[in-house]
Amino acid sequence: MMNPVLLIAIPLLLAFLSIILKHYKSQLLLLGSAVNMILIFGLQKGEYIIGGFKPPFGINLVLDDYAFISILVVNGLFLVINLMSFDKIDKLGTVLLVSLAGLNGMLLTGDLFNLFVFLEITSITAYILSSVSKKYQYSFNYLVLGTLGSGLYLFGLIILYSVFGSLNMADISKQMATANLNQMLIPTFLIFVGLAVEAKILPFNGWVKGVYGNANSLVGPLFASAYAGTMLFVFGRVFVQVLMVSSYLKVTLIIIGAVTLLAGEAAALSKTRIREILLYSSIGQSGLVVALFLSGLVFPAVLQIFNNIFSKAVMFTIGGKMADDTGTDEADELQGAFLKNKLAGLSFTVAAFSLIGLPLFYGFYSKINLLLGIFSLNNFWLPVVILLGTIIEGVYFIRLLVKLWTPGEEGHISTEEYATKFTIKIELAKVIGVVFLSAILIIAGILPGMVRNNLTESGQLLNEESPSYMFDLEGGI
Amino acid sequence: MSFDLLILMMFAGAFLAYLISKSNSEAGGISTVVISLISLVLLLLGKSQVGNEFAILYMTFKVTTIGWYFSAVMILVYSMTSFFNSYWMKQMLYPNAYNFLYLFSLAGTVGLFFAADLVTLFIFWEMVVWSSTFIVPLGKSRRAAVVYYTISSIGSMATLYAIMLLHAKSGTFIISEAFAWLATDPTMATIVFFIFILAGLTKIGIFPFHIWLPLAHGSAPHTFSPVLSGGLVKMGAFIAYMSVGVLPAYQAFSGSLKIMGMPIQIYLLMVLGAISIVLGTLMAIKQDDAKKLIAYSSVANGGYILIGILMMDQLSCAGSLMHLFNHAIASAAAFLTIAVVAHRTGTTKISELGGMIHRMPVTFTVYLISIISLAGIPPMGGFVSKWLIIQGLADKGLLFMALAAFFGSIGSFLYVFRPLAAVFLGQLAPKNYELEGATLMMKIPMVILSALIIFFGVFPRYILEVIGEIQSSIGITPIQLEGNAIQAINGLLNSYHVFVIFGFGFLISLAIFMLLQKSRKVGLMDTFTSAEFIHTPELYHYSHDFYAPFERLYKNHPSVENFLVNIANKFDELGQMVNALFFSHKPSITVFWITVVTAIIYLGGARI
Repeated sequence: MMNPVLLIAIPLLLAFLSIILKHYKSQLLLLGSAVNMILIFGLQKGEYIIGGFKPPFGINLVLDDYAFISILVVNGLFLVINLMSFDKIDKLGTVLLVSLAGLNGMLLTGDLFNLFVFLEITSITAYILSSVSKKYQYSFNYLVLGTLGSGLYLFGLIILYSVFGSLNMADISKQMATANLNQMLIPTFLIFVGLAVEAKILPFNGWVKGVYGNANSLVGPLFASAYAGTMLFVFGRVFVQVLMVSSYLKVTLIIIGAVTLLAGEAAALSKTRIREILLYSSIGQSGLVVALFLSGLVFPAVLQIFNNIFSKAVMFTIGGKMADDTGTDEADELQGAFLKNKLAGLSFTVAAFSLIGLPLFYGFYSKINLLLGIFSLNNFWLPVVILLGTIIEGVYFIRLLVKLWTPGEEGHISTEEYATKFTIKIELAKVIGVVFLSAILIIAGILPGMVRNNLTESGQLLNEESPSYMFDLEGGI
Repeated sequence: MSFDLLILMMFAGAFLAYLISKSNSEAGGISTVVISLISLVLLLLGKSQVGNEFAILYMTFKVTTIGWYFSAVMILVYSMTSFFNSYWMKQMLYPNAYNFLYLFSLAGTVGLFFAADLVTLFIFWEMVVWSSTFIVPLGKSRRAAVVYYTISSIGSMATLYAIMLLHAKSGTFIISEAFAWLATDPTMATIVFFIFILAGLTKIGIFPFHIWLPLAHGSAPHTFSPVLSGGLVKMGAFIAYMSVGVLPAYQAFSGSLKIMGMPIQIYLLMVLGAISIVLGTLMAIKQDDAKKLIAYSSVANGGYILIGILMMDQLSCAGSLMHLFNHAIASAAAFLTIAVVAHRTGTTKISELGGMIHRMPVTFTVYLISIISLAGIPPMGGFVSKWLIIQGLADKGLLFMALAAFFGSIGSFLYVFRPLAAVFLGQLAPKNYELEGATLMMKIPMVILSALIIFFGVFPRYILEVIGEIQSSIGITPIQLEGNAIQAINGLLNSYHVFVIFGFGFLISLAIFMLLQKSRKVGLMDTFTSAEFIHTPELYHYSHDFYAPFERLYKNHPSVENFLVNIANKFDELGQMVNALFFSHKPSITVFWITVVTAIIYLGGARI
């Protein structure tokens, strides 16, 4: 039986080693993430006490279903992205190893202050990674906002600590049940803001544009999938399991999520650069997931996180690669870019379809589930927002795909001569990676029962009320 | 072969066509013919399977007569059009993908028509939408694909909302059970009715959703326009049929306000149908592009189909179901003839053509037959169906609908005559003297389609018998047939007799034409100008500004297109506003917003 603390300790150890063994940084990184992947399958669910102090006095790691699937997916994507963009790792090996430790720590910890520590570790690595683009102003912007966010999180946590005298998640959750929730308004909201800065919720996400919009083929997919996924999983953990949210705050926050969804999609519609479209779409998706978590729909929210991070890993890899090769990611200048990169283009298309939620792709399954969930709560306005968002999302993705596949002028048949003059050479590792990820999206779309069985082997995730609707072979719909 | 295998085989066929096209794109084009023809035969032979239920993965299906009928129409249009595919392979940027998507969308429609639950229905609907979306940009316009997707997506998302709402209320996705549940709840029935039917309206191209038809039909690859206009538009009719026939609309709305004897919910949609007829007709008259012209005529014909289906009675509904078949084959045939012209001359502009009858007489004949049917003139199929629709309208005393229907019929003479006179008749341009006609492979589907148009015009009972079965299955009185004659309120219509009389008329005029002196032929640019040199003789050609005086009557008409474009721009502006307000590169702006939101939360919380 493995102790999950190894998932944090091994990358940290290798990070120290990589400083000594300077020339093997990227190899050590791959070793670390591969070892982590293997370790995950040897893990046993349960609660792990660290350092011999029993919680609520000591720190513990919680490995329940929710934590297990989240570390599985985050570590898996981390490994795949590093394999795909191996050439970009170079000196970043140490930073990435530390960030892997931080991400795993955030997903596993059972202590709110410990979460803050890992949040800071991860953020610092993120600041360093964001500076790879050499746009230091944007990194600085991110640094200021990220620090402010974690500062507010800490502030909220201190208030909670002074009220409950505990930092342990389970303990706070227990005490919250009997507390006056209206008095908890400010600390809850401060923690929300702290997490919202990293989870890209409007209006706390001013940094995203500069950082995501200039990220290369390594940093972009890492941010948009591993980091974004982790932040949303943590958000779900804190806001569904730990903190009780008063109905006033809950409604307000759901509205903030819904507004983020619509505003993000509308902003993406008005953009022409590939990475900007993708980043605003990510913002919209975060808003959706936050609204789902706050509505108590954990299962659909998790499905939607998967949909978002798998698709975005594919799309940011290809979008980033095109920008790396040509120096631009204006869709107009890259017309017909998929003409010579058919497999990569196909993966991009599958990812976009899945994100829109078109049938036969995984996203459709998660869309049906989240709609069923929301309707089961007798909420009839949120689906309208989500479907409106889906229409907008579909329009800008189809517009982008049509441009990238079929170059041409209006009134003339699409031919090769209109295609971009840039040569884009997507190397084999990336192609294999994106095809692998998009194949997952297709297989999970055709056989959704597989996802369900893996997700809900031992009952519901986090809370019992979360409805999980499914269609599978046995029971129909 | 049972239909679950048929659907799977059609999907497999799509992949097979892809693989074949990879080695040889022309062979791939021919494989689409083979696969779609095999599907057609298997479907027609499987009529006896009506009532069977089956499942593929989590999707459930039920074979119904209406599903079988729609599938037959769809596969017929696809298979006939597929004969043209191999000629266009060289022009296509992605011939393999074209063949794949072509067959994939066909398989999707068949799955849609047999769906037994609403989720399956939606799955196949969306599959057809995305697969056909990516064929459109291979043609002349990228914007058309985006507009097509946008309008379709508005419809399908609305339908998805209705499906989910219905499930939340009735607790089931099974089509028959969920819709039956609505019979007792008029409010919910009204909401679901209006939202659910939106997908149908967008697909048929009912006003104000008609703008995608001229764009997409007009600029899609020439081999796909017949399918879009003849085939895929009919998916919308299927949804409309489900919203009135399967959803017990008349039963649920029995208590609601009546206008001219119709429930207001249904009457409102009929008004939209009537507007589509008038608008489609007027816009078609204006078009100089033959493909756009037929596209607008599809808008008008969509109006007929919608009105007839909404009536859900003995005559109009039968007429409408027959009309969708007649329109499917006639508009496919018309688009195919234009495709032949485009293939040989490289243009579809009416004013640049002329005299094609001298070079492609078969194509001309096919076009003539198809437009006679489109305009609803006997003895073609289009006459019988329009006659039935108008009979039903007259019977119910729906004056305005009947007026619109008459207007559309007469207006259609104008617009179908324009390409006839300016593309096929008249003088041949000098550059076209050496033009070749249609190849044998192109003639086969065109001749089959025209034969069908005439056959079902003369013997409509073969199709009306199936429609009678459909009508009985949803509990309305089936159409009454006596041999070849159709029983209606004011007597019998025996189209065989009509055909014989028209045949005599035709023979007499042919005799006059043969006996009388032939007219003298003049050159195309033989223009009398009092010795003044003409730089642009085309402007003086009669096909230029064909209906100028008539068009001037409604030159300054309002357009819903501007309105829709404005809405799209508003979303764009919203995006720019979001961008300007929240996404600066200065951290202070975000700090400001954090402060504002915290203050709002704090003040709001203080009031509790």
